[in-house]
Amino acid sequence: MKDTNNIEPFEIIKKDNELTLKPLIPINVYYGDYYFEDIEKLDFENYSNIIVDLADVTEFDSFLIVFYNKLNKTAEGKNVKINYINASEEQNNLVNVLSKEQKEEKPNKQKKPFFYNYLENIGLKVKTMFSDMYVFIEFTGNLMIALFKFPFKIKELRIKDFAYYFNNAGVNAVPIVILIVFLLGLITGYQGALLLKQFGADRFIADLVGIVIARELGPLMTAILVAGRSGSAYAAEIGTMKVSEEIDALKTMGMDLYQFLIIPRVLAVTIAIPFITILADFAGIVGGLVAAMTALDMTFTGYSNELNRALNYSHLFSGLFKSIIFGFLVSSVGCFRGLQASGGAESVGRFTTAAVVTGVLLIILSDAVFTFLFQVLGI
Amino acid sequence: MIEEKKEISNLSNNNSNEIEDNSKASNTNSLSLKNSTNNEPIIQVKNLTVQYDDRVIIDNISFDIMRGEIFMIVGGSGCGKSTVLRQIIGLEIPIEGEILINGEDICKATGKDKVHILNKFGVLFQSSGLFASMTLAENIALKLETSTNLTNSQILELINIKLTSVGLAGYESFLPSEISGGMKKRAALARAMALDPPILCFDEPSSGLDPVTAATMDELIKELNSALGTTMVVVSHDLDGVINTAQRVIMLDKDAKGIIAEGAPKELKEMKENKKVYDFFNRIPTSI
Repeated sequence: MKDTNNIEPFEIIKKDNELTLKPLIPINVYYGDYYFEDIEKLDFENYSNIIVDLADVTEFDSFLIVFYNKLNKTAEGKNVKINYINASEEQNNLVNVLSKEQKEEKPNKQKKPFFYNYLENIGLKVKTMFSDMYVFIEFTGNLMIALFKFPFKIKELRIKDFAYYFNNAGVNAVPIVILIVFLLGLITGYQGALLLKQFGADRFIADLVGIVIARELGPLMTAILVAGRSGSAYAAEIGTMKVSEEIDALKTMGMDLYQFLIIPRVLAVTIAIPFITILADFAGIVGGLVAAMTALDMTFTGYSNELNRALNYSHLFSGLFKSIIFGFLVSSVGCFRGLQASGGAESVGRFTTAAVVTGVLLIILSDAVFTFLFQVLGI
Repeated sequence: MIEEKKEISNLSNNNSNEIEDNSKASNTNSLSLKNSTNNEPIIQVKNLTVQYDDRVIIDNISFDIMRGEIFMIVGGSGCGKSTVLRQIIGLEIPIEGEILINGEDICKATGKDKVHILNKFGVLFQSSGLFASMTLAENIALKLETSTNLTNSQILELINIKLTSVGLAGYESFLPSEISGGMKKRAALARAMALDPPILCFDEPSSGLDPVTAATMDELIKELNSALGTTMVVVSHDLDGVINTAQRVIMLDKDAKGIIAEGAPKELKEMKENKKVYDFFNRIPTSI
């Protein structure tokens, strides 16, 4: 942009008690900083009068004010007077307009000490956490009411929306879910094979993979993937609608927000997720079969006979039951976080991330609760 | 960087130093390239045609914008005002025609050449376009940090100057979400002026503003134009603003897909021979 070699920003003329500075290069944002070093080197205290001759300054911008300020500040307390001469009308205009304080109420943001800010932030975080919980409980309550009323208003369900979300959250998620759970079944199978081989318990690989996939990994991974795909998408969609005042428009039109926006999404995911989980369970078990056949030389018949013996309906249905709860949690959290967005794009992004994090957290928490409950109930 | 303590120095408050207002002497000075106002065009739009899919929005229009003037593009909703502006500032590439900025075609420019041309613009968008996650100071600093070698303290001083000039001194640490719509527009103007570009473009600067704030915005445009000599290109349908602020206007029409009138706003207001223009400038409702 600029030649950095041998730039002399000023022509300096010293005469008795008078120092004349003639700027030679543009005083603008691109060249202005060259003046600063030279100004600092000037011995202002040896002069009573400094003349800044602006006659040759043909290129300038608002950096001119920064330049003036620097000279004035350097001269401060040195009993020296600075005179700016030959300033063009344009230069004076620029300084006058940009230095003029426009009428505006002053901001009332006050600077607070760091420690105060630190404590305030902790307080705000805790407050936000509790208010989030409160609002989520309120949202869940409203959603439950809307769901109970739903059978009586089933004609009001926007079938088109429901089909769209079912397709997006369900059908479109199948390939990635199958791939991930197949690989998980394969990995579990190989890891299990290493251990089981030592005890000569090769055939129990089918028990291990079958039960782990059907009860835990199948529903869990499906729900996590749905949280990443659909929970985040719902938060972003609804968040964008919120910041662009579409939600307000819906409200003023007297539309039921839950009926119109939330229920089609929540129902679509909650209904779709057990079907995906069944496919995921199947893919995981096939993954285990591949591991059993390659690592333990097991036959297909041997694996399937053992699986048939080990797996029962309680394993399958406990997994499917959990998946329905996970689907409900993931989709409702996505919608809830979307409704929390306000302001602009940054807020939408923040709440989209929050939707995934909260969704995954709730999945794991509820899984832990169910594992404990099923243990107690002997399921 | 932004958190550094600001040094607010106001030239007018400094009693010991003075700026000699020497208008006579200025006659002998050569003028800044940017600040010169003359009849040479700074923007030349030649045979511009804009088409979205099969729909022609603008059909073969040409006009010049002179250096240092306040030029306005007006017309009814959907006539393509903002579309033309988006072509001028290089956001879209027209299907035909060329747009010369200081003789360089922005439509054909790519890479560094395009950035070079874009540095000649400051743009104030209709919804202000401030980065929501950044404070006002950070919004303004962005371009200064990437395009200059200035130090942090020099950048902070410039930020203070820009914000003061738009009446937002003291709002450096505010986020866009913490200020009003009018203040956002002014902050966006301060950002547009960060590098003191020779051309400032405004897309509906008064939209969403109350009449007093809108008038203040118009005054600011006039003041900055006369003080800095910046060429102002304004897209607007705020008639008061157009008549009080513009030096030259073109009016676009949806049916004609082009310019139907050009001239000083007061001339267009009296243009009885062209009903569309006359109706528009005199707020005469058309039958629905």
